[in-house]
Amino acid sequence: MLQVISAIVVRRLLLAVPTLLLLSLVVFFVLRILPADPLGMLLPASATPADAAALRQQLGFDKPIPQQFLIWLWAAINGNLGISLNFRQPVSQLMMAALPATLELSFAGLILALLISIPGGVLAFVLYQRKREAAADLTVALMQSIPSFLWSLLLIAAFGVLWPVLPFSGRAGPEVALPGLTGFALVDLLLTGQFRGLVSVASHLVLPALALALGFAPLVIRVLRSSLIEAAGEPYVEVARLRGLSESRILWRHMLKNAALPTITMIGVQFGFLFGAALLVEMIFGYPGIGNLMVQAVKGNDLPLIQGIALIFCVLMLAITVIIDVLYAVLNPRMRNL
Amino acid sequence: MSAIELPAAPHSGVDRSSSLCGALRELARQPRVWVGGTILLVAMLLAVFAPWIAPHDPLDQDLLHMLAPPAWAPDGSASYPLGTDGLGRCVLSRAIFGARVALTVAIAAAWGSMLLGSTLALLGGYFGGLVDRLISYVVDLWMSFPPVVLSLILLVGLGTGIDKVVLAVVLVDWTRFCRVVRADVLVTRRRDFVLAAQLIGFSHWRTMLREVLPAVVPLMITLFSIEMGIAIVVEATLSFIGLSVPPQITTWGQMLADARNDMQSAVWVLLTPVACIIVTVLACNLLGDGVRIALDPRLRQRVA
Repeated sequence: MLQVISAIVVRRLLLAVPTLLLLSLVVFFVLRILPADPLGMLLPASATPADAAALRQQLGFDKPIPQQFLIWLWAAINGNLGISLNFRQPVSQLMMAALPATLELSFAGLILALLISIPGGVLAFVLYQRKREAAADLTVALMQSIPSFLWSLLLIAAFGVLWPVLPFSGRAGPEVALPGLTGFALVDLLLTGQFRGLVSVASHLVLPALALALGFAPLVIRVLRSSLIEAAGEPYVEVARLRGLSESRILWRHMLKNAALPTITMIGVQFGFLFGAALLVEMIFGYPGIGNLMVQAVKGNDLPLIQGIALIFCVLMLAITVIIDVLYAVLNPRMRNL
Repeated sequence: MSAIELPAAPHSGVDRSSSLCGALRELARQPRVWVGGTILLVAMLLAVFAPWIAPHDPLDQDLLHMLAPPAWAPDGSASYPLGTDGLGRCVLSRAIFGARVALTVAIAAAWGSMLLGSTLALLGGYFGGLVDRLISYVVDLWMSFPPVVLSLILLVGLGTGIDKVVLAVVLVDWTRFCRVVRADVLVTRRRDFVLAAQLIGFSHWRTMLREVLPAVVPLMITLFSIEMGIAIVVEATLSFIGLSVPPQITTWGQMLADARNDMQSAVWVLLTPVACIIVTVLACNLLGDGVRIALDPRLRQRVA
């Protein structure tokens, strides 16, 4: 078992090196064909062309692009992603502060999405079996047409404005001081035993995580439903029925287990979708995560920050692929003997 | 007409036209196709004839009627059927004009990504070997990036404007077509009629365009329709952030951003752009699903 897992991890990591290199290269060149001058905002109105040239030289923007890339790459390998043009802070420091918030939000969103979509997918399948899938199909199609950022606005309108029961701005109330142990607010507050703070953080997490979950759930429902339909035709279902197992036991204990594999694969493939959705959700809820940072960086043409965040997203996606591969190997008995 | 029937060629004219008729009949039987198609048609008509249909200019500010409620509300005014926004602009007119940008981007971006993605898929799937490996590698590389992040980066590089948004969507979403169509081409390439065409001595070019391509067209139509919905969402997202088009062009995303600022005083302003986006995207998804069910024989049996 452990051998299989380590083989997967090693293979994935080896494949990840060229992927990361190529992606950084693509991002670097796209950002250097920029029509707007990123230096515009850094210089005072009274700056002379000589000042601009000096700053350009200081930041290294005067060198040929391939050379700039190699300089950036060498620094990045050594853990230095440059200084943000707008925040005047090291990019890596900004990202490390924001990353746990994004991971916390994405994880909460994923859990909520599963809580919605596992019963939802089973319900859609049961309705399909009873030839009453029209209503379920329409509901799923409708849900699929509402992206997370619209859910965010609708949820804020409903639970923040019309019926103001939940906070919808930031990560915690102003009275809560986040202890910076791991950066994961929920974990930190739990460890330090600050339950008031925990409630504040959790209530700030509800709406953004729900918006994320509602946007992601229909994808999971669809694949779960079709996997269950596929599983229904398998011989083991018939065998279980002949053994006299109840229909609900067959469904929940046997078919769902088999339908889990394609569902997990799909979740892995669509994780990029989840991160993308989190980006907007964070922006709308003023949630201090990496997506919010990205939106600010893009608006301010903050090249080093954009480049760094792009790299972090690639690393996250690769990490997800590894986790999904390992999970697949652990859950799929057919992979165990390889 | 001789008494002896000649065996029909794999894709003779008669055969093709009758299968086309059959396909159209199947399409007409799908309520999803009707509903989705009708909504999209109405939206397109509204977009094309916007200057004649909209009651006001979408940019005209009536500062005496800011945040007016819709006409059916107690103090609503009949001249602003859906009310006005924070600058006193007619919400209905803005929604109608917003459809122009949304549908332009949807159609142009879907065409672009379909052409780019399907061309590469045909080349890779048909020829296989190094070409295929190279194309698949680029697709994998592209997909290891969250699409929204990639389109944001592209827009930083390209600048703003409708054409740039279309280009960004195409450059991000061609992979969606490429991956799915390629899988279909791989299956089709091994079918008997393609082998027959190759044995008769058709050129690769002709086999690819006349034999393989028609077999994957239904899939392409489905993907096209779904891609339109995705492009509408991406455009709304980008203009919501303020990266898509200059402010003198009305978009649904901009309306959302404005409505968000006025949410504390007037929640209903939010509903119109939200409804516009949901209904149009739903129409695209329904149309895509309908086409898929109608033209995929396996699914047809399963649903029937």
